[in-house]
Amino acid sequence: MSITTAYSTKDLPDAVADLKGQCGDSKPRVVIFFASSKYDPGDLSRQMLAAFPEARVAGCSTAGEIVGNSMLSQSVVAMFLGGETVGRAASAVVENLRCHVSVGDAFSKMEEQLGAPVSSLDIERYVGFVLADGLSGSEETLMEKIGDRADIFFVGGSAGDDLKFQSTHVMLDGKSYSNAAVLLILELKRGFDIVKTQSFRASGKTLVATKVDESNRLVVEFDDKPALDAYAQVLGVSPEEAPTQFFKHPLGLMVDGDPFVRSPQRVADRGIHFYCQIKEGMELQLLEATGIVTQTREAMEARKATGEPISGIIDFQCILRTLQLRAENQCDRYGAIFAGIPTAGFSTYGEAYLGHLNQTSTVLVFR
Amino acid sequence: MAGQIKSMIETIIQKRSHGNSTIALTTKAKFVLKGVNPDRFDLRSPDDPAVLAKIKAIAAEMGVSL
Repeated sequence: MSITTAYSTKDLPDAVADLKGQCGDSKPRVVIFFASSKYDPGDLSRQMLAAFPEARVAGCSTAGEIVGNSMLSQSVVAMFLGGETVGRAASAVVENLRCHVSVGDAFSKMEEQLGAPVSSLDIERYVGFVLADGLSGSEETLMEKIGDRADIFFVGGSAGDDLKFQSTHVMLDGKSYSNAAVLLILELKRGFDIVKTQSFRASGKTLVATKVDESNRLVVEFDDKPALDAYAQVLGVSPEEAPTQFFKHPLGLMVDGDPFVRSPQRVADRGIHFYCQIKEGMELQLLEATGIVTQTREAMEARKATGEPISGIIDFQCILRTLQLRAENQCDRYGAIFAGIPTAGFSTYGEAYLGHLNQTSTVLVFR
Repeated sequence: MAGQIKSMIETIIQKRSHGNSTIALTTKAKFVLKGVNPDRFDLRSPDDPAVLAKIKAIAAEMGVSL
């Protein structure tokens, strides 16, 4: 079977029956689903496995869903991957993220399923997915530990709960989890590409984090000054006005000219809380917003221009980008970028690509 | 003494990537995300003991022996 997608806005159990009906007689090897927090995660996960008992079934709760060229809410979307697309597959859960992140057991389980060490996998044929509890505050450590052990790319996102910020859930093979992450490794027979896109350009103005409270994602000082004052200074505005610029001017940890975005969240006693950890000594660039639709389209056009086929897409899109698209009434224009391609995705509480990111889309492109 | 930091980072990237240029680039990115930017060091950079200790810790985390 080729890659297909489905969605439903019905309630349980009709929603799962609806997805199953859209899948038809196909026998997917892997089902990846993203669901509004309106669904009970335990019931949903159990019913999804019952509907697709021969498949590996993984998903998470969201802050909005993406399917085809539509950005939805209060729905469940699914992508079905068949044997033409997926070869070997492995999955595991990392639990107790808030206490102590340890991926050793999960990797051992996946290596047993794969029959090979993860470190030996071909990076052009194998890809990892990571779906993490979006309220655990531990995605940076999780991604670091995964990256220490694996050279294959892991992409994904942090689960949401429709902006309630109460509880988020990841789901695997009939169970649901909080304070946990689902890891999935797939052998993609035709290969894949990853498009990471964020709608910002570097301003050339830098800030160095000189005092931080890493575990609380708080920068106390930049350049030996209160973080708010230093941020306002490079931006050329007053400290009082600076928070109004957070959305359009996050900071970028630059890797060979490519920003890994760190978004300011709120001010605390002249320090700044971010949606992502910043380590002491990190040099960051002040970023300037460009257009989400324009930049995403350019990134996808560049991918299309390689001439490699595109048989499906999973878009892990930051909720902050979704909120901006909604506010600017740009959701249809954004969706049109993926028109004609089987696409699924969700609005995340953080994106995963080598590390934990903000205000970014990490897009897995199936060849 | 100078240059040890750069040399150790290069050794880690080399050992980890086994000559694969994509893995070399992603390993460099992982260094940046861990708070050590390889581009900020060259063979004249002083051997700061704190940074050296950090590099050794990263090598251990990545399973690379120096």
